[in-house]
Amino acid sequence: MTTQQFLLSAWGWNPVVIGVCVAAVATYGFRYRRQNGYFLAAIVLFYLTLASPVGALANGYLFSAHMLQHLLLLLVVPALALLGLPELKKDSGVRVPPLAGWLGGLSAMWIWHERTLCNAATTTTSVRVIQIISLIALGLMFWWPVIGPQTERRLPPLLGVVYLFSSCVGCTILGILITFAPVGVVCPVYLHPVDRLGILPLLRENWGFTPAFDQQAGGLMMWVPACGIYISGVIALLARWYRAGETSVAAPEPEPVFPPPRTTRGNA
Amino acid sequence: MNGTTVSTADEYMPMAKEAGAISCVATVDHKRIGILYLVTTFFFFLVGGVEALVMRLQLAVPRNHLVGPGVFNQLFTMHGTTMIFLVVMPALIGFANYFVPLMIGARDMAFPRLNAMSYWLLLFGGLLLHFSVLAGGAPAAGWFSYTPLSESAYSSTQGPDYWILALLVMGVGTVAGAINMIVTILTLRAPGMTMRLVPLFVWMVFINSILIVLAMPALNASIVMLLIDRQLEAHFFTALQGGAPILWQHFFWTFGHPEVYIMVLPAFGMISEVVPVFSRKPIFGYGFVAGSTVAIALLSFGVWAHHMFAVGLGRASDLFFAASSMAIAVPTGIKIFNWVFTMWGGSIRFTTSLMFAVAFILQFVVGGLSGITFAVAPIDWQMTDTYYVVAHFHYVLFGGTLFAMMAGLYYWFPKMSGRILSEKIGKAQFWLMVIGFNGTFMVQHFLGIMGMPRRAFTYPDLPGWGALNMISTVGAFILGFSVLLLGCNIVWSLRRGTQAGDNPWNAWTLEWATSSPPPEENFERVPEIHGRRPLWDLAHPETARAPVKTDFCPEKNKTSMIVFIVSEGFFFLMLIFAYIYYNYTQKPGPDAASSLDARKTLLFTCSLLASSFTIWRSETAFKRRRHKPMVLWLIATIVLGAIFIIGQGSEYWGLLQRGITIRTNLFATTFFTLTGFHGLHVCIGLMLLTIVLVLMLLGDFKNFRPRALQIIGLYWHFVDAVWIVVFSIIYLKLLL
Repeated sequence: MTTQQFLLSAWGWNPVVIGVCVAAVATYGFRYRRQNGYFLAAIVLFYLTLASPVGALANGYLFSAHMLQHLLLLLVVPALALLGLPELKKDSGVRVPPLAGWLGGLSAMWIWHERTLCNAATTTTSVRVIQIISLIALGLMFWWPVIGPQTERRLPPLLGVVYLFSSCVGCTILGILITFAPVGVVCPVYLHPVDRLGILPLLRENWGFTPAFDQQAGGLMMWVPACGIYISGVIALLARWYRAGETSVAAPEPEPVFPPPRTTRGNA
Repeated sequence: MNGTTVSTADEYMPMAKEAGAISCVATVDHKRIGILYLVTTFFFFLVGGVEALVMRLQLAVPRNHLVGPGVFNQLFTMHGTTMIFLVVMPALIGFANYFVPLMIGARDMAFPRLNAMSYWLLLFGGLLLHFSVLAGGAPAAGWFSYTPLSESAYSSTQGPDYWILALLVMGVGTVAGAINMIVTILTLRAPGMTMRLVPLFVWMVFINSILIVLAMPALNASIVMLLIDRQLEAHFFTALQGGAPILWQHFFWTFGHPEVYIMVLPAFGMISEVVPVFSRKPIFGYGFVAGSTVAIALLSFGVWAHHMFAVGLGRASDLFFAASSMAIAVPTGIKIFNWVFTMWGGSIRFTTSLMFAVAFILQFVVGGLSGITFAVAPIDWQMTDTYYVVAHFHYVLFGGTLFAMMAGLYYWFPKMSGRILSEKIGKAQFWLMVIGFNGTFMVQHFLGIMGMPRRAFTYPDLPGWGALNMISTVGAFILGFSVLLLGCNIVWSLRRGTQAGDNPWNAWTLEWATSSPPPEENFERVPEIHGRRPLWDLAHPETARAPVKTDFCPEKNKTSMIVFIVSEGFFFLMLIFAYIYYNYTQKPGPDAASSLDARKTLLFTCSLLASSFTIWRSETAFKRRRHKPMVLWLIATIVLGAIFIIGQGSEYWGLLQRGITIRTNLFATTFFTLTGFHGLHVCIGLMLLTIVLVLMLLGDFKNFRPRALQIIGLYWHFVDAVWIVVFSIIYLKLLL
């Protein structure tokens, strides 16, 4: 099989996935008046992650494709979905404590790369469905305190930076461990894929995805671009912070809100 | 320089008032400590400079034998270590020490005595490093001390040991200083100065201090491992027993790449102060300059492998790190435009300070561009370990940071001394420095492209090499002369320089709102803050915005402990990482399953976890102002902690009885290091708790004012949390 044939043929048309996507878009369309493109983008990306050739490769062939899928489902799709939601009042909807969100986001990465679970999620459909649902749910939990729809309850921007950066450290460590682990230690099922589509020679020889390269690329994906996602979040938070700062300083306050300056400042 | 500051009557060290001559040793005033930093770094700058000149003399002509290879190795090692740890970093910290409290309208640093400690650790660390010369030879394994070269098998002198100890001493001081700086900036800003309104120098120092707090523990942990290797014959980085010398490179550059930004961010801050003042315009894009700095700082932890392209990490690693290294250049590159657009259309006054700033921008662009070429892995393979690298990082650190410090010195000297540095000598010095610097290092690009290796004590007489090296040596001496001229300028201007007055440059940040030099208490009255340029607003009240409320001002003791805990957390992260890395595959010899009794450990683990509960009860009693339960719960905590230590001691004893020591194999090396350091932290915690207990019994807590219990409680919870992680990594799977 050539690359072109593979890219054209390896699309999945799973009715359940299509049904979920259509239902999500329909619910969103009926439920909310004010809409933006983010939610639609999230659904399209969700569909592409599972049904495009990336999904086919992740399904037992390439660890790196699995990692790409993992990151998109955990970090990108939920973030886009949350950005698509209209603003909620403080008291409505669920409340996610930041610590829970942080632990949820990180544990999704660490637990699903435990050897047995990683293998099971690739070979058993039921585990795989649980994995996909848990990634989306934990991803929503993770992003909720930072970009959730309850704007008043979001973390203060500088704490948000700490939240995202510490997550970046957590995923970097996992990425490093995967990158430098002996080949096949992390998720042995990808060492000798069952070649259902007849593309293994294409991947191994034409694309150069040897098992070692594959595992390294997967680990590096979690190490480098994943942190890029967190850092983009940091930049967005800071941009919002500085923008908010400029307006609030410019708006005249009705009366002085602080006592006159002290003459000297103690420091004990 | 000390003579020009106001004589001290210090509230922290009353004896300093009487002592007179000893006052500059006993001082805790941030301004005098800042000057101590700057004087010390200037001294070490001369030392490192002389080392560089000797190297340049040796390289002036081909096949020279002025110094032998052994001495040459010591020279470049000491030159690099001195310039990085004893000149660039502490000089930037010195400037920050003097000016950050002034710029935020504070009376002093948050912890003045800790500040003094940081300085003295630096000085004695520096002396310790140089003591190695008397103790059998300076370190000679390069400033990054690559293993296995720095292991005792290949470096048998005590040089590397002194290198490690000196860096540890300085590292502790630097982290303490950074914590102090973070807490100062967070808690002591003048009313109305929100974190969005601080001067850019302050912001850069803030981010820089966070970088130090996160990155220095990586260095400290790695050199501790190297020290254990060298002194206790452990196997972290010795390949013969299964250790990985490459791991040292990873660990070192985990620190080393953020270090590059540690050495350049405050310089960015200085440029961002100098350029607007002498262009009479506010900085172009404050938000971008400040925000992108955060991005650079965080990204700097994700690109270190580009220092290791030549190692052979694999094609995948090279690809990813090439991409990320190019990405980090973007936010840095855009800053250049911020500075240029700040000057664009301004009414520029070409003072010496601004001339240095402009030279900084140009030379930093050269250093930045040559840096981007290294992001392309194949070019890196060709150029690594040649003079092209030497040229690159000197353009960043000398042409960049040092020129920025010159701009800062000419800008701020009037504030520190009350007199303006002579502009005439200053301009002569500027031109000599520009010619000398570019003469020395520009040609090294070409030498590097022609293949001349760095760290080699001499070279063959190939066409062009002799001439280019001679140009470089002549340039180096011009550079040395320009530094002497700076010294003369300082000495002359201190006596005869023009009186500065409060605000000679008509600048607008708070340090110019007080006299030059500032009085002991810094300000008689801090002006009201309306925006980023308080003095401008004072002069133009019609355009000033309404003042805002101070946004965020945490309690200083708690903040400092949290920052300290974060730093400690990174230290443990390195040790934990080493344990996981070396133990996820089966190795010959004893391992966790065969040598540890997890059930017994579980018992004393429970004791430690229970102590977290008891100290929480003690804190609750403190909050409810009930003395007796507070004391009793604290005693319970100490007893439970002691049980843990005894349990761990008996575990160690059992292992030692069976002949398992730190030198047995990699499991033992990593196990003893990780649990040992944790045990050490428990012991320190116990000591602190005992001190608190004694103070309680002596009646210090009668009024329930001291916060020590809560602060040390935080530390104690942290120690427990670390143990939960350690336990689940080492022991948990033995129980399941």
